[in-house]
Amino acid sequence: MQVGPAIGAGIAGVAVVSVALAPTSAFAVDYLSVDQASKLIFPDAERFERREIVLDEAQMRELAGRGVRARSQRWGVLEAQKAGATLGFVVIDEVVGKFELITYAVGIGPDGAIRQIEILSYRESHGYEIRLPAWRRQFVGKTAAAPLKLGEDIANISGATLSCDHVTEGVRRIVAVVDLARRSGALS
Amino acid sequence: MNARPAAFPALAAPAAEAHRAPDAGWHRRARPLLGTLVEVGVPCSDTHANRWADIAFEAIAAVQACLSRFEPASEVARFNALAAGEEIEVGAHAQAVLSAARRLQHESAGLFDVSLGSAPDGWRLDGSRLRKLSPAVRLSLDGIAKGHAVDCAVQALRQAGCESGWVNAGGDLRSFGSARVAVQLRDEAGGGVRAFASLLDGAFATSHYDARSRCRLAEPGADPASPAPAPMPRAHAAVHVSVAAPLCLWADALTKLVALSGDAMHPLLAGFGAQAWLHAFPAHPQ
Repeated sequence: MQVGPAIGAGIAGVAVVSVALAPTSAFAVDYLSVDQASKLIFPDAERFERREIVLDEAQMRELAGRGVRARSQRWGVLEAQKAGATLGFVVIDEVVGKFELITYAVGIGPDGAIRQIEILSYRESHGYEIRLPAWRRQFVGKTAAAPLKLGEDIANISGATLSCDHVTEGVRRIVAVVDLARRSGALS
Repeated sequence: MNARPAAFPALAAPAAEAHRAPDAGWHRRARPLLGTLVEVGVPCSDTHANRWADIAFEAIAAVQACLSRFEPASEVARFNALAAGEEIEVGAHAQAVLSAARRLQHESAGLFDVSLGSAPDGWRLDGSRLRKLSPAVRLSLDGIAKGHAVDCAVQALRQAGCESGWVNAGGDLRSFGSARVAVQLRDEAGGGVRAFASLLDGAFATSHYDARSRCRLAEPGADPASPAPAPMPRAHAAVHVSVAAPLCLWADALTKLVALSGDAMHPLLAGFGAQAWLHAFPAHPQ
């Protein structure tokens, strides 16, 4: 096992003491594109067709009755198809934590069961940044995130309270929305 | 700032080399598992990379299925539901983690306690049989199982022919082979990350203690209905404890020992080939 100094931290002893004083920076990783994730979840799919789910007021109330905050009436869905048959659906979503923004994909089978969940990207930033809408806007589109990339290093975060509660809640919402759409015939 | 900073180990490589491994050479995937974000990094390979990542995630999911107290079918949840005097058969994961937990409990004179104070001696592991001795005992392997899951994922990757890479379960990190990973500490109070160290062929874990929140680790002997917060060094709003060790199970578990004892030079660390850092920092202005 080797534990070495962080880059630019000078001699090792100083690095330890200065942890609390070192300037903080942002952290960002892109794992998969929407395309890559869709193909990973449904490797047999020949094509992915964009569909849109539009929930009406009654459906929004039904979701709320099930304890699911639908958040939006419009949901984009990628339908995985092979030889005219539906293999399942992929929904892309993002959730914001205290300091993090996570984009993820949920694959749902034609039976409504979760096939796979993949994280597409992770952004960790300062509290004051995430409260600003501009910080979030810069992640719309793929190349806009480039300024936050940490060079070419492989970097990993260590922390204790990194929670995926928001993702879990988001997945639950997506499963409920897709289930409702399937039952109402909107996705068939 | 640092209560008792431990010395860094001798540096085996120049700093510049530590960060030379380019992202382009590694395939990274992440999934929500173990209640956190689990990242796997493996060498880029058209034929193997995604399969390797899947193998690592499956290994972690298997540990979660056995040891999470939140999954009703898990061995831990089934044990917690037993009456005193009853026992269940447990698999290799529970045996490994509970044996390690008992060892650490003994060696730390009860400071490390997977019963979280409910009944430290209320369970007994005898081979594959886990017996409930006290009706009060409730096991929670939160403080040690994540590290074990990371070790299992690394073992599965190696068995599948993956020679280097890393697995990071929300900060419980292990790198193996030639993967040198830059470790950044997440600032739990204000957001952002701070460069800390680089890790080669070893494990690194961090625990966080916040004076404003109730610590999940109870002091030994505490009333299980109202677990007491861990001792907090005075005048510090929050404390990060990091431990480096050869195995992630020990790195994970030993952060709790260091946090509870407040001692980054705790004598038990050396026996596990581990070393610790205690980073205290004041509260961020909101």
